[in-house]
Amino acid sequence: MGEPAPHITPPVNVETVSKPAPVILLVDDDEITRIGMAGRLKRLGYRVIEAVDGSAGLAAIRSHRPDLVILDWMMPGMDGPSVCEAIRADHELRSSQVVLMTAHDRPEQIAEGLSRGADDFLSKAASKQEVLARVQASLRSSALVREIEHTRDDLDRSHKLLSAKQQELENELQSAAAFVRAQLPMPGIPAQGIAMHWAYQPSLALGGDLFQVCSWGPDALGLYILDASGHGVSAALRAVGLMSFLREDNLVKAVGSFDPGAIVNEANRRFPLSQDGDYFTLWVGRLDLSSCTLTYATAGHGGAFLHAAAGESRWLASASLPLGFDPDSTFESARTQLQPHDRLYLLSDGIYEAPSTTGELWGKPRLQATLEEHRTSSLVHSITETMAIAHQWLDGDIFPDDVALLGLEIQDRSTPHKRRG
Amino acid sequence: MQITERRVGNAVILDLVGELTYANRTTFKGAVDRVKSSGCRQMILNMHGVRFLDSSALGTLALVAQSLSGTPGRIALLNPQSYVKEIITLANLHQMLPVYHSEQDAIAATNLPAAR
Repeated sequence: MGEPAPHITPPVNVETVSKPAPVILLVDDDEITRIGMAGRLKRLGYRVIEAVDGSAGLAAIRSHRPDLVILDWMMPGMDGPSVCEAIRADHELRSSQVVLMTAHDRPEQIAEGLSRGADDFLSKAASKQEVLARVQASLRSSALVREIEHTRDDLDRSHKLLSAKQQELENELQSAAAFVRAQLPMPGIPAQGIAMHWAYQPSLALGGDLFQVCSWGPDALGLYILDASGHGVSAALRAVGLMSFLREDNLVKAVGSFDPGAIVNEANRRFPLSQDGDYFTLWVGRLDLSSCTLTYATAGHGGAFLHAAAGESRWLASASLPLGFDPDSTFESARTQLQPHDRLYLLSDGIYEAPSTTGELWGKPRLQATLEEHRTSSLVHSITETMAIAHQWLDGDIFPDDVALLGLEIQDRSTPHKRRG
Repeated sequence: MQITERRVGNAVILDLVGELTYANRTTFKGAVDRVKSSGCRQMILNMHGVRFLDSSALGTLALVAQSLSGTPGRIALLNPQSYVKEIITLANLHQMLPVYHSEQDAIAATNLPAAR
């Protein structure tokens, strides 16, 4: 039968230099029909692969991944609809575009074919125009499906890359957090006659609140707690910077004394408000180990709480600007006498500014009451319980701000002290 | 945070409503800079509607105060409430940004050449 030639739209993508001709797999046991249809498709510019039955067709789909499969309905062994079902059941092949070819096109047969996995139908008696139109339509669908699959694959690859990068950053963050944590003092006995314990919970992996208890000159302990505004990496890096400034050897060079007021004045000069408005608050104390005299100075910090064993407990803070707010500010040292069994708590505002579920802040009075309630408990227990009660108030695990609570207890001074290390 | 600008005589009053935090400090600073660049020498930040102020916002307020230091401009805070007032007092910010409790007082104070 001669082909009615002209006015046929050329197949999409055929004859373009950049893209190869679409591949069509033709599965038909009837040689004459198969050869005839293959010839038609080849003349239309497609690359055609032939298979002689259902099983061979499935194998060819796996090996060639054609853009379109044209399947005869009636075949010995696996018929067309069975091949369709096998394709849809296979995770790798299920997106294949399949056209079932029949000699008849009764509605119930079409319905069965579609329900068993075919995408379209083609009558064996179809004209060249219809064959071309259906093949083109199916190839358009096939191209769209492939595009979606490629996009999905690209997304999968991007997701994997991002996940790997995220993990890398997470690991680096954890290393940085471990480094920052390593700067904190070891709980225990920083000097004979002084017990120390602390709890620390940054709101993110890295915190802007840091504290230290260390030797500052002979016969004295330096104590400080600092709070870099903001949270996270930037705050932590700035906090470590200020911590370096407060190292014993640096203070000797940079300040020339261990007087807290002088230290804060120098820090105020060296750590100005950043262009983004970042700054520190700082509480610095120096505990003379012989006399148990505490000298301290503050720069905008909520302070320290002295829980006196006898007499009145009090907050050791004074109204002062944070570091860097005003380069002309001067910070004075204050002095107080500690007695045996007194406890000195250094703390960040994150603990007493913990909000309840209704937004009410825990507040200094509740914090003070909690610390005082644990008067007879050990220092470790007092700190652990106070943190637990703050958590209960918060009704959650993560504080919105960094939380640090450090406690020192003056032990019985009946035996002469000796500085550790 | 909502920021409304209004002019009373020579003064510009920024009515701030909501939370002043790290998240909106750029918006806040932008509003202040616009007032400064308009040539206004008398600015009042109305804090009455500010429910919360975090540490970053405190730094931003200090930055605003610093940026006007040494210029003929005058800036003041008006009527901070409860928690915000406590934060400002604790940080001693009122040393840099005077606090007033009436609009008339704030306008009069920032209008005085000697006021800070």
